[in-house]
Amino acid sequence: MTLTGRTRRYALALIFACTAARAQDVILVVNKSVSISAINSAEVRDLFTGVRSRFSDGSRAVPVILKGGPAHEVFLRNYVGDNPDEFRVRWRKAVFTGQGSMLKELNSESALQDYIAATPGAIGYVSRVTAGDSVKVLTVRKGSR
Amino acid sequence: MPRRTALLLVVCCAARLVAQDLENIQIHGFATQGFLYSSHNNYLTMKSSSGSLQWTEGAISVADQVTDKLRVGIQLHMRQMGDLGGPNVVVDWASGDFKFNDKLGFRAGKIKAPLGLFNESQDVDSLFLWTLLPQSMYPVDNMDFNLSEMGGEIYGALPLGKRGGHLQYVGHIGDNSLDANGGYVEQLAEFGLTFPTPPSGKTYGADLQWVTPWRELTVGASALNDALDGTGPQGTVRLAATFTMAYYARWDRGRVHLAGEYWRTPLNILLTVGPNAMPYPVDQRAWYPMASYSVMKRLQIGGYYSHYVNKAGDTSLPANYSKDWVISGRYDFNDYFYGKLEGHFLHGTGLGYYTSTNPDGLKPNSNLLAARIGFSF
Repeated sequence: MTLTGRTRRYALALIFACTAARAQDVILVVNKSVSISAINSAEVRDLFTGVRSRFSDGSRAVPVILKGGPAHEVFLRNYVGDNPDEFRVRWRKAVFTGQGSMLKELNSESALQDYIAATPGAIGYVSRVTAGDSVKVLTVRKGSR
Repeated sequence: MPRRTALLLVVCCAARLVAQDLENIQIHGFATQGFLYSSHNNYLTMKSSSGSLQWTEGAISVADQVTDKLRVGIQLHMRQMGDLGGPNVVVDWASGDFKFNDKLGFRAGKIKAPLGLFNESQDVDSLFLWTLLPQSMYPVDNMDFNLSEMGGEIYGALPLGKRGGHLQYVGHIGDNSLDANGGYVEQLAEFGLTFPTPPSGKTYGADLQWVTPWRELTVGASALNDALDGTGPQGTVRLAATFTMAYYARWDRGRVHLAGEYWRTPLNILLTVGPNAMPYPVDQRAWYPMASYSVMKRLQIGGYYSHYVNKAGDTSLPANYSKDWVISGRYDFNDYFYGKLEGHFLHGTGLGYYTSTNPDGLKPNSNLLAARIGFSF
């Protein structure tokens, strides 16, 4: 099968778009005390929306987030399905009805990574892992629990 | 007024601490100022036909995660709306929360009562696009009655397997009382009844919510049983134990949010004023559909239709129904400050009107402009 010039351009554009979309993701990281090495995307959502407070191995999870920025927006869009305002409202509802406490927020990815490295059970996201092996990278499986 | 200003100042100053996270202690709060202008009739005890700013609310909450499983907290709330509420600060909720695991937790103290989609959170303005939630179910003048109770609740989330989503449940029981400065007590005063202590009674209920595997869709049902007894110098009020049933659904996908509810509340109220016993049967049916859309990052628009009818009365009389068409917009200036503007096209006088602020009677229809600015941290 031969591709015409136009079709080839479309194919290349499609490949580029898919690569860019994949690149627009974040890396999930946890404290090294966490025994699991893979997690479902549904579990991630449940942990960051307060439905779950433990990892699948039963250990306590401490979700931490960035105060804002592209990585925060990408994480919320890809894993929670909220925009930052919706996510804030979700947690304010828990706070002001006495049903939960705000997640720990950090100003920068390096601060977030440092916090995760120092806090047992902590889980968060970064656009790229820095500072060597201070945290553990989680593999994310698509789908339900 | 000075107390109101002082509270707003306290909330704003506390905000300078920007929700400090002192180890595990969290401090949060909000303050709002509302405005109502109506074409006819005075709404919600405010002199809205002349334009009224008599609508101020504020709250501050402190919570501490004492251990992995135990959290304690308290929220103080102040509300002034026309003749309702007042400068007094009340405990909105104050509870200890022990969560054994994700499937089972207990909460005790003064707790918020779940009923429908918004009952627990209806006094937290910053959560909503709407300046006024559908009044057929969440009447702002009477919100304090079912908002919280002294008692306990059991709650949790049960996974339903890979393709079943999960169930969230709450069961609660406690004591409830009318707000001494709320709308029901004001309405009873219009019958000539006053109470040294607000009428009170037992309450219990449950809420079951299915978060479907298609995450955008949530459906649920709530039941709430209330009973009330009150005795004053002029007479008594008695509400036989009765169930309110609520059914609801919401669908959120991207920028689009849809929701709807249906409630039924049959009430058998007996008022005794001096030697006269007055049965006051009510059969409230209420429903609404609502839709909203996030136009851009900080701008939301939407609309709803709120329908209320008292089937125990003559439903052709405006006093026995309320039909409200609403369009609304909200703009968030930043993460903390927001403003809202809302138009209401009200038909019927079944909800939100008081003789004390409408001594010359009521027109059956009225339009209303509602605005609110708020700050939350």
